[in-house]
Amino acid sequence: MKRILSVVLALAMMMALVVTSANAADFTINVNIWDSNQQKGLQEIADDWTAISGIPVKIEVVDWNNYWTLLEAGARGGELPDVFWCHSNTVQMYMENDLLLDLTPYVEKDGIDMSQYYEGITELYTRSDGKIFALPKDHDTIALLYNKAIFDKYEVAYPTDDWTWQDMYEAAKQITEKSGGDVYGYALNTSNNQDGWYNLVYDYGAQVITEDHKGTTIGSDAGKAGMEMVRTLLTVGAPQTVVAETGTDSLFQSNKVGMITQGSWMINSFYTAESHADYYWASLPYADLNGNGQCDDGERWSCYNGLGWAAAYNTQHPDECASLIEYFCSEAAQKKQAELGVTMAGIKGISDEFANAFPGMDVSAFTKAESFNLYFRPYTRNTVVWEDALQQQGGFLDAWQDPSNAELMATACDNAQRIIEEAIAAE
Amino acid sequence: MAKPRKKMTAAAKNEAKWAWCFILPTIIGLLVLNYWPAIDTVIQSFYKTGDFGMGNKWVGLANYEKVFGSAEIWQSLWNTVKYALIEVPFGVCIALVLAVFLNRKLKGTSFFRTIFFLPMVCAPAAVAMVWRWLYNQQFGLLNNIFHTNIAWISDPNIAWISIGVIGVWSVIGYNMVLFISGLQEIPGDYYEAAAIDGATGIKQFFKITVPLLSPTTFFIVQTRLIGALTVFDLMFMVMDKTNVALKKTQSLVYLFYDYAFTKGNQGYGAAVVMFLVIFIMIITFILQKLEKKLVFYN
Repeated sequence: MKRILSVVLALAMMMALVVTSANAADFTINVNIWDSNQQKGLQEIADDWTAISGIPVKIEVVDWNNYWTLLEAGARGGELPDVFWCHSNTVQMYMENDLLLDLTPYVEKDGIDMSQYYEGITELYTRSDGKIFALPKDHDTIALLYNKAIFDKYEVAYPTDDWTWQDMYEAAKQITEKSGGDVYGYALNTSNNQDGWYNLVYDYGAQVITEDHKGTTIGSDAGKAGMEMVRTLLTVGAPQTVVAETGTDSLFQSNKVGMITQGSWMINSFYTAESHADYYWASLPYADLNGNGQCDDGERWSCYNGLGWAAAYNTQHPDECASLIEYFCSEAAQKKQAELGVTMAGIKGISDEFANAFPGMDVSAFTKAESFNLYFRPYTRNTVVWEDALQQQGGFLDAWQDPSNAELMATACDNAQRIIEEAIAAE
Repeated sequence: MAKPRKKMTAAAKNEAKWAWCFILPTIIGLLVLNYWPAIDTVIQSFYKTGDFGMGNKWVGLANYEKVFGSAEIWQSLWNTVKYALIEVPFGVCIALVLAVFLNRKLKGTSFFRTIFFLPMVCAPAAVAMVWRWLYNQQFGLLNNIFHTNIAWISDPNIAWISIGVIGVWSVIGYNMVLFISGLQEIPGDYYEAAAIDGATGIKQFFKITVPLLSPTTFFIVQTRLIGALTVFDLMFMVMDKTNVALKKTQSLVYLFYDYAFTKGNQGYGAAVVMFLVIFIMIITFILQKLEKKLVFYN
């Protein structure tokens, strides 16, 4: 009897819960992102929108790998989150299969000036028929991160904004040699592409993916020259077995590595690290191709990428989602996004505040990078396929494993050319 | 002569009806969650997957041709077999010895049983993470204790052994518990008689314990072999994508995951996994034939 009573009571309570939530009659916009560093700042901006619209926004973080599994499963089952981030790796497939809400009518109705955003990002999220499926959320750039304490200890001159890759090699060499191999001057994994070796390929005049997204010049002489410089750097850097087990970021934060290159989206993890007081940022080195001792146009490239805010094609609340996205991508919100140090803006020329967002750490190297030659993160229809293959054996991994062998790197460039061409052909 | 078919009584009918009601949830669960996906996998292996599983194209045996012609697949099959060759024999032998010791009336047996069984209770992903750090070349406990600088999981020559060791460690407790239950079914009289005849402990072990335990041993070997051939989580958690030794350690299921879920090519992934299923079926068939020769049922 008691048991029956408790079951009845429990049921009654559940009913009450269901009824009250239905009575409140409002709904929540569910937002999915993959970067926990950005959650707090974005929630703050979303709350500003809630203050205007009265609709609560819940931002949930799913880590990078699971994010894509979840999104793909959601796309198959028609259960996508209301609003979410899009990335250059996969967005083409989502757009072509009409899985994203068409934002064009909203853009037209509200008179949003698409030319205020970075061209590469706008182009990425516009389908070939001209329909817009995501608005640019942000842009990122790359800079050189170094540990001052290590440079002091081994009496090596700090990196400057006028460094060439050769200068970087000399410094890395000194650190590795003076420490007797205990500390490495530099660390680079094959997976550090956007923040690492891609930039050298462009500096030396080749392209990982050509501008029409239909080919590559990585196997050209220029591409091989860039990767040859990468190989030279690797000879004085951490061996592949080490970076594959511990990761370049962790090695750097354990004071085992003097320099790495990193993107602006990672600042927070170094800003909050234990020995952050020793960490300094400098501009990416350049390739002095004409040998005149200064950085000319086309000699220093930084990759940039931009996420897009998109909504599900079948969301229950398309108007509200579009309104939230427009708010996220408005000048006010993106200025705030930069001020809070979440990321730099997707709108051009309003990110200066980002440089001051981290008191005690000078991150102006990232805003300075906006004046370099910028190239958009190389992508094709299914980027993951060739990107993955390049990182593994048969791609660049063999050359990484034995950097003393120049032949291997040249072969790897030829392999990379073939891998990318075959992957594009199979798309 | 065939038995005449009896008509069911009303009571028997009623009973059967209820029996069906009780097993129905399980049957529905099996059909929806196990059998349908399995059938769907077979079907998908004949298709080239379109984006998000829409617009699949029939390609006949093309996926299978690619599987059989791929060096990567054969290497992974060999990796999987190598893993099984470590996990099953060592996992069984060590567990058997432990079980014999822990089956005695000693102080603290339940304490030791708990300790050896604990790895079974831990989430496999957590286990793999901990081992990954133990093995770490720079900061790992192993290299620090022994003052070595061995790339336990990045040296292609030893990485497969390192992975196998984790597998053995994880599975010993489970095998041990099965062995203990098997040991308790062996009547004590045999040992008493043998002791009177002057047989030593070791002789008793090989002449009484091992043969009488063979049904349990066979069961463990068969289930563990299938378990080892479908290993995935260890490689997935321990090995980074850019690890030099990955190609020499990745299992077939890892490859399946990589193609089906990372690269979005479910058709090829399905063919890979069908290849594994056929392989396991052959192994199981051989084992069943061996059972009649090797296993002693009294």
